[in-house]
Amino acid sequence: MSGRTEAAATIVTRVRERARRDPGAVAMRHKDLGIWQEVTWGAYWTQVELVAHALLALGVEPGDRVAVHAENRPEWLYADLGTVAVRAVTVGLYPTNPPAEVAYLLADSGAKILIAEDQEQVDKALSVLDECPELRRVVYLEPRGIRGRYDDDVLMSWPELLALGAGHRAAHPGAVARRMEEARPPDVMTLIYTSGTTGPPKGVMLTVANVEFAVRVLVEGGGFASPPPSERDLILSYLPLCHVAERAFTVWFNAAAGVQVNFAESIDTVQANLREVQPTILFGVPRIWEKVLAQVDIRLESASPVKRALTRFWLRVADRIGDALVRTGGRHTFWTRAAYGAGWLLCYRALRERLGMRRVRYAASGAAPIAPAVLKFYMGIGLPMHEVYGMSENTAIATANRPGRVRLGTVGEPHPGAELKIDEATGEILTRHPGNFAGYWRNPRATADVLDEDGWLHTGDVGEWAEGTHVRITDRMKDIIITAGGKNIAPSEIENALKASPYLKEAVVVGDQRPYLVALIGIEPDTVGEWARRRGLPYTTYRDLSEKPEVRELVQGLVTEVNTRFAHVEQIKRFAFLPKELDHEDGELTATQKVKRSAVAKLFEDLVEGMYAR
Amino acid sequence: MTETREEAAPVAPDIPTGRSRRVRGRPLLYTSYAQDMALLDTPAKRLWTLLLVALAFGLSVLLQDRSLEVLAGAYVLAIGAIGLNIVTGYAGQVSLGHAFFVAIGAYTAAALSGPVDGENIGFGIAEVWLWLPAAGLVAAAAGVLVAPLAGRLRGLYLAVVTLGLVFLGEHVFKEWKKLTGGPGVGREAAVPELFGVRLDQDGPFGTKEQVLYTLMLALLILFAVAARNLARSRVGRAFAAIRDRDIAAAVIGVPLTRYKVLAFGISSFYAGCAGGLLYTISGYVEPGSFNLLLSVQFIAMVLIGGVATVSGAIAGALFISLLQPVTRSLPALVPFISGDTTQTPNVFQVETVLYGLLIVLFLIFEPRGLFGLWIRVRNYWKSWPFSY
Repeated sequence: MSGRTEAAATIVTRVRERARRDPGAVAMRHKDLGIWQEVTWGAYWTQVELVAHALLALGVEPGDRVAVHAENRPEWLYADLGTVAVRAVTVGLYPTNPPAEVAYLLADSGAKILIAEDQEQVDKALSVLDECPELRRVVYLEPRGIRGRYDDDVLMSWPELLALGAGHRAAHPGAVARRMEEARPPDVMTLIYTSGTTGPPKGVMLTVANVEFAVRVLVEGGGFASPPPSERDLILSYLPLCHVAERAFTVWFNAAAGVQVNFAESIDTVQANLREVQPTILFGVPRIWEKVLAQVDIRLESASPVKRALTRFWLRVADRIGDALVRTGGRHTFWTRAAYGAGWLLCYRALRERLGMRRVRYAASGAAPIAPAVLKFYMGIGLPMHEVYGMSENTAIATANRPGRVRLGTVGEPHPGAELKIDEATGEILTRHPGNFAGYWRNPRATADVLDEDGWLHTGDVGEWAEGTHVRITDRMKDIIITAGGKNIAPSEIENALKASPYLKEAVVVGDQRPYLVALIGIEPDTVGEWARRRGLPYTTYRDLSEKPEVRELVQGLVTEVNTRFAHVEQIKRFAFLPKELDHEDGELTATQKVKRSAVAKLFEDLVEGMYAR
Repeated sequence: MTETREEAAPVAPDIPTGRSRRVRGRPLLYTSYAQDMALLDTPAKRLWTLLLVALAFGLSVLLQDRSLEVLAGAYVLAIGAIGLNIVTGYAGQVSLGHAFFVAIGAYTAAALSGPVDGENIGFGIAEVWLWLPAAGLVAAAAGVLVAPLAGRLRGLYLAVVTLGLVFLGEHVFKEWKKLTGGPGVGREAAVPELFGVRLDQDGPFGTKEQVLYTLMLALLILFAVAARNLARSRVGRAFAAIRDRDIAAAVIGVPLTRYKVLAFGISSFYAGCAGGLLYTISGYVEPGSFNLLLSVQFIAMVLIGGVATVSGAIAGALFISLLQPVTRSLPALVPFISGDTTQTPNVFQVETVLYGLLIVLFLIFEPRGLFGLWIRVRNYWKSWPFSY
């Protein structure tokens, strides 16, 4: 890159570099008809180049938005990198987004091209076409149900797109390379929409410079794993790619470090895919870690007595090892190493193999708060587990627990090169570094709210220093409950303590301007169902199950147990069961499965009022 | 833009895919179907199989000649059992006529290798590699002739028809004295000769038993691997489809008649080869030995060993063959059981009762046979620390 003005290094130039250096090495795998099909760096780059040429042929100018609405799959990456190659902006949509949100996101971003996965997503887009005047083309990946049935000029199949790209490449060789030469660090390369727990989602503009900073910190600086990720590492890509965390682990790790990406078939097959892939780096959101823990519990309950007794014993040992590791920050002592060695032979090795975590050398939890007990379980069975913290607005760069310096209950230390301070008046966490975003898309007012003149990003999280080095997060600022008695309470701490139980899936603590705290509780149907089955308790639906007096008794026991760990004012006085499982489609959860507090509180107002009425 | 869309079918350019490499330490991550179907797909399996084969060959110098003789016989029976397993286990066509095909093989081999000027029919071709395939092919031809019956009959009816074959064969072999020597007299069995070297005599390669043992083991491995490969091929899948539901198999495009004929043909080929080899150890064939009991013995091997598994058939054959020396030693331990056929109860009756009893017990308690027991043990450890 020896131009007159130096072109910026982007994830695309990194992929091109890898394709030149080692075209035959494996870049990613995806499962097709039972077989993990490989995609080499050479093939990856060819696809990216074709998509980029096709976008040029479709008239995509620098700064235009290209939306991708698909599950994790190689085409997502081809589309993303192809877009960045022509200096356009990638917008990711959650596959679970209902049509109304799709309309909002497409209209707000003003996407020119939409890459939609299948008939379902194409239908969503077609139904809201009138609301998105800037949308010119909808490219579909899966022709099933579309080819030969839909006759809309806006539609185009993926092979057609590639053929278009091939035609353009033949006619204008080097067009993409020239466009890539023009790339500059301030170019916006992606819009990451916030999940929108309170209002409509806002598009976070991340620039080439932001992402390059994140890559420098996370990959080259070994900000997470140590030693840094490399070509020998495998990851499983299963969380939505439109989220900044999965984008970092899948796209950026892959491009910058050559980590082999393996795409899970779907979110439901994650456990099976984990077992097959046995990744070395594993990122999960709390929901995933909680769910795996619950699965261990269920499967142990139905194991034969000998296996159950032995495993229970070793899990108790793991608990002690976990305690010791929590004290030492993740470094083994002689005693824990010896106990772990024995347990490894008899239990942990097999258990980790079954969970698909046998070869995990770095595990991380992020994107939402998690109960320390859950993390401790994984540390005990030998998973190097780290809680990390970041958000779309700072390109996921804020703090991380570093290997060997883990403080449970904290989100770790600030990354080198990232400034972090805690506002003394409000306790809000502020970060400042080159990864701070360029602003919200078409929303300068919201930008001004979080990005001050000195370049500090107001994260909206309340936190405190622990031991001067680590950061502990109390809660989201907007979620802090002030009771009628004037006490400030962080609900998420209580909620996570409750959700650490395998029987509970959702817990929403309510009590703002109220005399005491109450909770709306959603049970985990799998575990509670299994629990009821073993007790010979017949039930029909989710609602029927949660209304059983025995289940109420079970949950009451859990709530009472959690209450003992909190001060008097922080205790749950009453709870009610949610009559249904919360759902994205119904507007109770965000696309990232976070509870929309206000929506839930309003929807189940009568339940809440009922708990205060008595 | 519109121009490209109006082209009949725009073809995306060909992009080379990966080379489908195995990923180290990920036994469940298959990057091609060949890996998914490989017989020995993990290093552990390769190692253990190698050790087992080495041990089996090593036994020829470790064991007494008497034991080697029993084992050599067991290996030949295993070849026959694998044959029965192909038609009954894989393709689901119950056959009680296995003894008949074994007899055809035995007499074909005996006649081919017998002396030209002897009492019985003989052609003087003693080379194993000539008479063994011939024995198999003649038996296979008989199997193919019988097979159309299987195209029309199912289950019990097929069993009865194949049972008829045994009686038919028994009669023919008793009466055709020129070929068989007649009941009570018999004839000399096939002579195994390999490139001019007699294998049924002590020679430079070891005693007669050692040489025969090694030959039978080598042949067993050959036949077993061939059967495993057959089972994982298109043919094997067609067999399994017919077994599970022949109508459904026909609906998804499996030609029933062709595959049933094929199943009988291959099964009979195995039976014929086993028949040819079986009597080279004792050197003598008697037409009375190809009776219903022999068929039942093969059924017992398959059921006790494990239906539709090659290793099960081998295990079953070993089990049944090793049962014989045990029952034969019964008179010394249990006074009221006699070693004399004229008295009751004698060891032969006890043996027959035992086969029946074992079949009943296995069908009730472990229908997957010895192989099923192994699967249970393996799964117990494989699923550790859970139960599924």
